[in-house]
Amino acid sequence: MNMNMRRHGILWTFLALVPAALAGDADAPKHVPFRMLISNHMVVEAKLNGKGPYRLIFDLGSPVTLLSNKAAESSEAIDPNLRKSFLFGARGEGKVKTLEVGELTARDVPVIVLDHPALKALGGVLGKPIDGIIGYTFFARYRTTLDYQKKELTFVPVDFEVRDLMKSLPARMAAAKVAETRVLAPDAFWGLTLGEPTGGVDSKGVPVASVAGGSPAESAGIRPGDVLTALDGRWTTTITDTFDAASTVPPGTPTPVVLLRDGEELTVTVTPRDGI
Amino acid sequence: MKKTTLLQGIGLLLALVALAPDEPKKDEAVGTTYKVPYRVTNTNHYLVRVRVNGKGPFNFLVDSGAPALYVGTEAAEKIGIKTDEVNYWTDIDRLDIEGGASLTNVKGRVEDPFQLTGMNALGLPGASIDGILGFTMLARFRMEFDPTKDRMNWTRIDYAPKEPFVPKLRKGEKLQPSAEVQMMQALGPAMKLAAVFLGKQPEEILLTRGSLGIELKDGAVVAAVVAGSPAETAGVRPGDKLTKILDNIIDSSNDAHEAVLKVRPGDEVPIALERDGQAIEVKATAGEGF
Repeated sequence: MNMNMRRHGILWTFLALVPAALAGDADAPKHVPFRMLISNHMVVEAKLNGKGPYRLIFDLGSPVTLLSNKAAESSEAIDPNLRKSFLFGARGEGKVKTLEVGELTARDVPVIVLDHPALKALGGVLGKPIDGIIGYTFFARYRTTLDYQKKELTFVPVDFEVRDLMKSLPARMAAAKVAETRVLAPDAFWGLTLGEPTGGVDSKGVPVASVAGGSPAESAGIRPGDVLTALDGRWTTTITDTFDAASTVPPGTPTPVVLLRDGEELTVTVTPRDGI
Repeated sequence: MKKTTLLQGIGLLLALVALAPDEPKKDEAVGTTYKVPYRVTNTNHYLVRVRVNGKGPFNFLVDSGAPALYVGTEAAEKIGIKTDEVNYWTDIDRLDIEGGASLTNVKGRVEDPFQLTGMNALGLPGASIDGILGFTMLARFRMEFDPTKDRMNWTRIDYAPKEPFVPKLRKGEKLQPSAEVQMMQALGPAMKLAAVFLGKQPEEILLTRGSLGIELKDGAVVAAVVAGSPAETAGVRPGDKLTKILDNIIDSSNDAHEAVLKVRPGDEVPIALERDGQAIEVKATAGEGF
């Protein structure tokens, strides 16, 4: 009986999985196992345009996805007649039609092609080549979960336009070297003015200069002289930090604000209102 | 003599036993999820803010391609820590990551990794980078990145990898990291190359928006005017309907927010109003605060 139930259980689980697989649910999390190299790098095995597997390093610090010339040619990610530059044999940008890792297939992934000297060295020490790096231009398409303990990456697609660093290169090189400015606009009315923080790297936050009568800040109990150390979970070490934090809080949102008053830390909740 | 040794031995044994229950100190934070604010630089690098030994905040790269924790020499000087010439790794008492996560008693290398120096010198990322959170720090969390959200989720797990091995050297010898560490450092962000092409870019300048002191309700009607605010001085009253700000037609509170998005304290802001069916125009000088 027990055995039977268990068997049925397995059967039902199995059947339940089938429709999901058939539907090819695009939004279902895709699991990708990785291995750790002795150099503490994550390596995944990937098929590029159906060829491979290739060994790629998954690198959260890399702004681009990169393939060696050999891998790019053998996977037909780049035109083999394209000339190599004197610098690391760089051949600019290619495109991988399908990149398969674990349960995930990514389409039309831009890659830059060059023989990175460090990858070459790493491959040499490992005795097995490393064919490239998976970077930002790939993983910014997904909500990515990285679990070093389970040695697993999980991907769920999100709707996000990935900025292609290499494409914006020429424009950036030609652009005037003028600092970009950005005005930080709070999204609601709080009733606070702030003073300049003191103490440099020891500063915990910004002093409140004034609190408007009848304002959300006053209702929450904020007083002039309080030092604001965090707003909505963001550190407020400078006046611009505080504006930045308030720029993502819409009117009507109860928001935690951490204050220092006479050396004691206290948290109040401010619900800012609509206003400019 | 022998007895003393034996007693000492027992003493040592007892001391070890007494220590033992403390040994697998489970971090209380295990299982806690922190919402970590981050920004993506012009160069597609993730930056988070960190306080080191209570000092800061400093901008650190989130870089799984780096082997460990790196603190740049400029930041290290402000913090008051130095390169450890004997043990390679410098002891750091406390690391606080914006969003609430804290790590205590960790080790980091005080030096300027090449990619960091390169990017900062070029002013590339639009913000100075003071250090790198590499594998030995990141692996203590299950990390979730969603480019459509302004925070990452970091869940503390019961895992603390060791620093990569660096052999201790005898006096006079030049300290050299092991081959694997050198390899790891060499990889870094592939940015090194792009940095060559990009040229110097100055840092981004952040400015605060000016405030008028108008509270709004549906349909861009003035709900309240803050006492002593620019709007009060200009003569705006509760019940007035905003029709135009800085040549932008206003129909909703959202329009009003859009119209003042780039207003700076001290800017003169022309405002058109409707009061009891009459059109009125006033000028307010934007103030500080929000």
